Amino acid sequence: MNMRPFTPRARLLTAVAICTVIISSCATPWYGTSPTFPESSAAPEEIIVTGARDGNSGLIPRSPFGAMTRSVPLGAHSAADDNALGSVGVGEEVWIIATPSRAPARDGSEDDSPGTGAMLASFANDIDEQTGRAREIPLPLKHTDVQATITGYISSVNVRQQFENPFNEKIEAVYVFPLPEKAAVSEFLMIIGDRRVRGILREKEEAEALYNEARSQGFRASLLVQHRPNIFEQKVANIEPGKSIDVDIKYFHTLSYSDGWYSFVFPTVVGPRYNAPGNKNPIVPRKRGVMLAAGHRAVRYLSPKERSAHDLSINVTIDAGVAIEELKASHEIVASRDTAESANVALASQTTIPNRDFILDFRVAGDTIKSNLLTYENPDTHQGYFTLMIYPPQGLEALARRPMEMVFVIDCSGSMNGAPLKQAKAAVATALDRLEEGDTFQIIRFSDTSSQLGASPVPATRQNLEQARRYLESLNGTGGTEMIEGVRAALDFPHDPARLRFVSFLTDGYIGNERDILAELHRRIGSSRVFSFGVGSSVNRYLLERMAKVGRGAVAYLGPRDSAGEIMANFFNRISHPALTDVHIDWGSMAVADVYPSRLPDLFVGRPVVVTGKYLGAADDITVTGVAGTVSEEFAIGADGLEAENAYIPKIWARLRIAELADRQAWEWDPTGEIESAIRNTALEYQLMSEFTSFVAVDSSYRTEGTQGTTVHQAVPVPEGVRYETTVDPREEP
Amino acid sequence: MRNVILSLIVLCCACAWQTSAAQHDDRKRFAAVDIYLDSGEPVAAWQFEFSSRNGRMKIVGLENGESKAFGGTPYYDREAVQRGTADRIIVADFTLAGANELPSGRIRIATLHLMLTGADAPQFDLELVTAVTHEGRTIDASISLESQIVRKR
Repeated sequence: MNMRPFTPRARLLTAVAICTVIISSCATPWYGTSPTFPESSAAPEEIIVTGARDGNSGLIPRSPFGAMTRSVPLGAHSAADDNALGSVGVGEEVWIIATPSRAPARDGSEDDSPGTGAMLASFANDIDEQTGRAREIPLPLKHTDVQATITGYISSVNVRQQFENPFNEKIEAVYVFPLPEKAAVSEFLMIIGDRRVRGILREKEEAEALYNEARSQGFRASLLVQHRPNIFEQKVANIEPGKSIDVDIKYFHTLSYSDGWYSFVFPTVVGPRYNAPGNKNPIVPRKRGVMLAAGHRAVRYLSPKERSAHDLSINVTIDAGVAIEELKASHEIVASRDTAESANVALASQTTIPNRDFILDFRVAGDTIKSNLLTYENPDTHQGYFTLMIYPPQGLEALARRPMEMVFVIDCSGSMNGAPLKQAKAAVATALDRLEEGDTFQIIRFSDTSSQLGASPVPATRQNLEQARRYLESLNGTGGTEMIEGVRAALDFPHDPARLRFVSFLTDGYIGNERDILAELHRRIGSSRVFSFGVGSSVNRYLLERMAKVGRGAVAYLGPRDSAGEIMANFFNRISHPALTDVHIDWGSMAVADVYPSRLPDLFVGRPVVVTGKYLGAADDITVTGVAGTVSEEFAIGADGLEAENAYIPKIWARLRIAELADRQAWEWDPTGEIESAIRNTALEYQLMSEFTSFVAVDSSYRTEGTQGTTVHQAVPVPEGVRYETTVDPREEP
Repeated sequence: MRNVILSLIVLCCACAWQTSAAQHDDRKRFAAVDIYLDSGEPVAAWQFEFSSRNGRMKIVGLENGESKAFGGTPYYDREAVQRGTADRIIVADFTLAGANELPSGRIRIATLHLMLTGADAPQFDLELVTAVTHEGRTIDASISLESQIVRKR
């Protein structure tokens, strides 16, 4: 925020006090030399055997420290260990706290400090005999509460993550989680009881250093880091046994809109990413408890026989500004309506396993959506910001389409095995039915390698379509996700000038090298248009959205409960009419700069485009021109006037600028670090999370006892429909 | 000269500190500084500036005060996080609570969490920029601080 004195007449007369604070002598440990931790002795490896589980629920106690029976130092591993393990009864749990000294040079970024280690758990039985349910694993993340407010097409979201230490010693909780790919994360609070400590946004390296220093000195601290635009890592240090620390994250984002429906999405789990060889910044999927190689980031997954106590509550308040005609959601919801234009929606059950995206769609009155221009002027600098929604003109629907060259690219990797691949195949089968005489098509599959139906696109004849259906039926999911092979195969053949080429990627997007894919797409896109279909319950929306943007197309999502035929039919309805191309905006008297996206995409039927930028001068009516087929189109959009409630627009603008700069990093050589610097500066100026800025919060008023505690990685379930066995690597890394 | 003002120079110096200073010039320690506002009238909004003269501090957190009328957490100015160690932070908060709910007297309005570097005694400046009533009228108030020594459990 940019502050000014509350009043220019601030002329206060106050007493001048001079105070010398004498910090206590060397006996007070808070400012003394930083504690040092002997490498091998700070946290002796031990086996802790807890008591029997709760007989009624079949679940282990949430706070097992009360059930502790003994702690056995592992100086002589074999004898003590074997004795301890040998005495474990059925249903009892064994916790093994492994010291890093046994596994040197692993996960150097996180678990390399003596006194920490990975918390490993094993059980005599995996499935509870009485309930038949997966066994609950004690983990620090207890609850996630989401409070969202939607005004128009802007959503403001507060996410509270509640961490609690269920162990008998101090821990550091680490949780890798998703947020929407467009989220402009602007606030961060660490909450301890009634105390709320606002996090400070700093350059990432500096924030990490501050956090590590506070952690090592025993202070409670939290750190929020962005690994991808939609993948974040939360660390909370020095949570004492039985104690809780909450974290609040606030972000804004724009809602997507298509065919009368706005869509609000809250992702709940990061899907297991495949990392191509040579990926320098991987986020690897690993079994809960395994150790990592130095420098690797990981998402730890629960096996299908395990579950955590982590649950979820979501409340969404909608003020659409126009009448809401219909609501639908991916989960069971409870909805109430105060007025025609507003609604309150809540997740019906708070015990829902957070293993798929929460999607809330609401349809607004059809004829009332129109292009609009919202503006905001910074009262200090008089810098103006705008966000412009351009809705395609209605007349496009009356125009017929040109012949098409359809290329379907299907992800057949292990993560697509089962339900997702079945959905993808059903969608392509529907598309084949919609091809017309004069169209050509190609089907490409990829996993570790790529292969395709034919050497080149073939005419949509009855015989070719039959052959394509048989080919489609033969596809199965196995292996890695070398999407780059699919991109090359889809775009590396001569373009037929007589046809519009549409390339449709059907994938869950579970890859770790998103930038490589975007760079490859950018290099080869030519005049093709790319449409990405996210197939699955928790897809990588960042990749899919950016692929569509680079490919000047659009994105659609095909969830496990969606009708593949309906989604593909909607897609065909969209491309069956010419888009408005060569879009140009006459800004009138507005001196406009830094507009994002910098290259305006085509306007497809039913799909508006949101453009955000800065301006100086008075907001004015603007004129949009373009070409639909052979017809020129022109329409005016009026400014809604300056509104104080549009104060979020600068942050939306800054988030879009960061996204565009990050895209450029994928394909532009940046030897001087100019792009990185621009991202960093924008993030700091507008107080936003980014790849290069992080939030850190330290409670320096209280120092916990002992060393920095054991690092416990929050394990999560694999997304619904994804097979744990084919996607999660159970091995420890060398 | 500005009319305001409070200039509060805090010389944090401790013998033990000085003793070990030569050996650990780059050592880091954390401190919590409670900021108190003393006003004879109910306060609806305030703003202060806190800075380090010798660039030995970094702000690592900003905590809410004790008044329930100010329900959230104070806000800080982005200048506070500019690069380097010579941090300066402008902190402000306001409430829309009714006049009868507003605090008066001496109240803790915020706690700054700091990381201090080096053996030199940090020198802080604290200045009340303004404090106003719910009607926007400036109040004659004073501001002070207390360094909160970390409690060892």
